[in-house]
Amino acid sequence: MARIIKVSKLNYRYPDGTIGLKDVSFEVEEGETMVIIGANGTGKSTLFMNLMGILDGVGYIEIMGLMLNKINLKDIRRGVGMVFQNPDDQLFCPTVMDDVSFGPLNLGLNADQVIEASQKALALVDLQGYESRTSHHLSFGEKKRAAIATVLSMNPRILLLDEPTGGLDPRSISKFINILYTLKSQGKTLLIVTHDLFLTQEIADRVLVFSEEKKPVAVGDYKEILKNYDLLLKNNLVHQHRHRHDEVVHEHEHRHGYIHEH
Amino acid sequence: MRDGYFGLRLCRTMKLTNSLLEKLDPRTKIISFLSVILCMILTPITRIRDFGLYFLLILAIGFFSRITPKQILKKVCILVPFVLFIAMFVPFIKEGNVCWSLKISNWKFDITYEGAWTFLNIIVKSTLSIFLLVIATSTTTFPDFLKGLDMLRVPRLLVVLMSFMYRYIFVLIDEARKLMRARSLRYFGSRYKEQFRVMGYMIGVLFIRTFERAERIYSAMIIRGFSGEALSVKRFRFSSMDILFLVGIIVSLVCIVSGLVNKIEHIRVSGAHLWQGL
Repeated sequence: MARIIKVSKLNYRYPDGTIGLKDVSFEVEEGETMVIIGANGTGKSTLFMNLMGILDGVGYIEIMGLMLNKINLKDIRRGVGMVFQNPDDQLFCPTVMDDVSFGPLNLGLNADQVIEASQKALALVDLQGYESRTSHHLSFGEKKRAAIATVLSMNPRILLLDEPTGGLDPRSISKFINILYTLKSQGKTLLIVTHDLFLTQEIADRVLVFSEEKKPVAVGDYKEILKNYDLLLKNNLVHQHRHRHDEVVHEHEHRHGYIHEH
Repeated sequence: MRDGYFGLRLCRTMKLTNSLLEKLDPRTKIISFLSVILCMILTPITRIRDFGLYFLLILAIGFFSRITPKQILKKVCILVPFVLFIAMFVPFIKEGNVCWSLKISNWKFDITYEGAWTFLNIIVKSTLSIFLLVIATSTTTFPDFLKGLDMLRVPRLLVVLMSFMYRYIFVLIDEARKLMRARSLRYFGSRYKEQFRVMGYMIGVLFIRTFERAERIYSAMIIRGFSGEALSVKRFRFSSMDILFLVGIIVSLVCIVSGLVNKIEHIRVSGAHLWQGL
């Protein structure tokens, strides 16, 4: 497998002086799903903004063999689709169709190709028939799926998803995971930012853990990482919780799918 | 959304009734409605009979739209008070021949003939225009209207601006309402001064949020290759119905306007004053 993303020694500081990223280095192989987990405010979204060239941190970023700079920026954005956390930021056109066709139109495709690409993208996220709906009348789950369709219509090689399951109900989450599986089977490289360990377990090939010092502390196979309690606990991804049964209070780590002895 | 927002009620995508007016190309509607409004505005208010004819024309258009009069009146009643409020003071301000004086203790208000006519001018023309506007908005979805404008070569920037307004006004209203709710949940009565301070904070927060959202949206746009041009795949085509409608409107407008020309001629010949010529 070929390397598709390489980041080394990336540093970013917000205009007000707050540190956004500190010495971030990692690599992603083509076709793999890398899940980036970390607590709130650990710089995961900032990393995405840097990868897309919206924020310019100091360091080296290479995507699809191209170094991220002003000259390559357009080509990189052509091949990388990023979905924002809040679908209201992603869907800015009056109708869903306008939004989904926005990317391909800007790529310079002709009308027929644009319509075909948009229909395909809408079918993939199960939103056929929503073309002329206005975005603000969609439910949150539908908005999230429409947001993904807006970048799928550009047929990117790499997808950056910021909190894809945040704020969704269980059925929407499973629908979303299905979509992610389809994308994975199409050979797309997925980079997903989340703190949902359930999603991580479902979809990840490799996991990158961000610490609260705004830098990655561990990277590896998802099974290894998810087994490593100390690591997860230290980085605020699981927590101790106390509960009571049979009038006895006891304390243990909280983890999904983990049944403990009493 | 609560139903109280008149903006929402006006902008909401209508339930499609499949009427003639809905099937028309948005460009046809924009051109014909705009020409009706233009003719109406350019008609001197003294030709009351012409306005009767305009009203009939609008009624006919309303008939084609298949919207019930109740629906139309409901929306008109939302907008008219605004105009009334603005026009209310005109009779008192305008200088000219005094027709009626009002005296309240030391204050004296004069209503002039010119003022009264201007008042009537504003009210009649705006009410009729509002009627037309309501019919137009209830038979055209806003996105279609924007596309029509774009195809009529209205400056792109303006169209894009309007489309953003349409997209985000609801999000903004929502955000404002959330702020109001958060305030009212923690609000247990305070002095007026305090309330204004809180209001100021809220406006400030709303502004910052809007500003930051705008930045995020712009990033979302450039990521997807935005280069300053708003493109769209949806295209409209003129049908025979469009041409028929357009011709109908223009013929009736010409009839009304030419009648007006004759009357002005008559007034000029008989040498009567404009007011007396009615």
